[in-house]
Amino acid sequence: MRYVITGGGVAGTTAAEELRKRDASAEIILVSEEHHPLYSRVLLPHYLKGKVPRERVFLKKESWYGEHQIEWLTGIVCEHLDTRNKFVGLSDGRELPYDKLLIATGGQVRPIDHDVRGVSYLRTLDDADHLVQLLAEQPAISRAGIFGGGFIACEYLNIFAHFQMPTALFHRGAYFWTRSLEPSAGALIHKHLLEHGVELHANTQITQLHGEKSGLKAGSGSAGDLTGIVTAHGEHAVNLLGVGIGIEPDFSWLQEAGVETGVGVRANAFLETNVPDVYTAGDIAEFFDPIVERHIQAGNWMNAMSQGRTVGKSMSGERTEFRLVSSYATNALGLEIIFVGDVERVAVEQVHIVGSVEEGSITQLFERAGRVVGGVMIGRNQDRTLITKAIQERQTVKELGIC
Amino acid sequence: MPRIHIKVDPDLCIGAASCVTIAPETFQLNEENKAYVLDHGGEPTPRSYERVIEVTEEEKENMILAAQSCPTLAIFIFDEEGKQLFPDL
Repeated sequence: MRYVITGGGVAGTTAAEELRKRDASAEIILVSEEHHPLYSRVLLPHYLKGKVPRERVFLKKESWYGEHQIEWLTGIVCEHLDTRNKFVGLSDGRELPYDKLLIATGGQVRPIDHDVRGVSYLRTLDDADHLVQLLAEQPAISRAGIFGGGFIACEYLNIFAHFQMPTALFHRGAYFWTRSLEPSAGALIHKHLLEHGVELHANTQITQLHGEKSGLKAGSGSAGDLTGIVTAHGEHAVNLLGVGIGIEPDFSWLQEAGVETGVGVRANAFLETNVPDVYTAGDIAEFFDPIVERHIQAGNWMNAMSQGRTVGKSMSGERTEFRLVSSYATNALGLEIIFVGDVERVAVEQVHIVGSVEEGSITQLFERAGRVVGGVMIGRNQDRTLITKAIQERQTVKELGIC
Repeated sequence: MPRIHIKVDPDLCIGAASCVTIAPETFQLNEENKAYVLDHGGEPTPRSYERVIEVTEEEKENMILAAQSCPTLAIFIFDEEGKQLFPDL
């Protein structure tokens, strides 16, 4: 049996590990765009703040792949898929036949249109290394900007606060996570950020970046160093800009091959795509979730790792349904924010609210067909266990009994 | 049965809850959204981030799996002699 896995992140690597456990003689080939052995993206903020040294972000050693007879191809992506003859075309020109193929390529950060030295993204270890460098180069008086209103924006808020940089935040929506949050929950987050000294600019697009050639730093990029950003409301002095406006998976090569895609690669509850022997897992998967009974995409660690394990089982012959209520927890300057289950406002019938801006904490409950399918807790960690259980057990809002 | 020492570093824990999903008898989240350690579902007071518990081989394997699933490697597991079983040093 020959397994090809494209994507060397936690979903793909966990699947490779599971396959090896179940099949000692199979050929396993792991195609990875990045050159690093598996590391934890979730640890990158800890690394940036100096909580853990760089070497602690790695979850596998380079030797691990060879020790487990996993052929690890780095710096390579799949560019072509032939589902009839069952092979993938690699970016180095090679063709790689497979018996079973796993697509676990995650997503690439969505970039802004402008590139000046001083613009940072936060997805990969290389991005984090770049930010470490930028932070080290900052002059004594330096202002940070953040573009985005989601989880990555929260990480930048904490990182810039750690370095005591005055911070201005710009986002396109009226508030954070407009697809999930009600206006009151958005207002609660804004209030918290304002109280912590963040300068806020909602409903804002960046139209231009200003850079200046620095005579002191030879070879520091031809466009010069970032000095400011321009929005419809004027120019803002900023020396470092953290961008977190989402990820976009690249699946044109899959679409050309007839693999069904929506916002992600579509799959059933067994993580099987519409093409025989082609599976998907992790951030790129838009899978049928049998608990909330619709297709969802879940960009979090727990989901990616668990899907890797489940899909490994299925690919090795033990067809297994994926069942998990996954969650994403973050913290924005001390305010705890947790998303559990299906939290898309347009996909539910009602959103119930517990708490208020005045109380300093809000929980949103998402209800569909009479059942609790999701929850967002802002400053209300105590609801998490109950809501997770309510989603798993398909309770009604009344049975859950918190509102 | 072997005894193992399980320890959560609350400073590293971010409440991702992977450990709770894999080993709910051993890990739960407290109100600070940090994982604490239980003894077979029991909650000996006071709540604690570390505990020495008796486990079967199978339970031990599952706890190591839970520790491996932690995206911030905030869970440390030691054997009776104090040798670190996870993370690998």
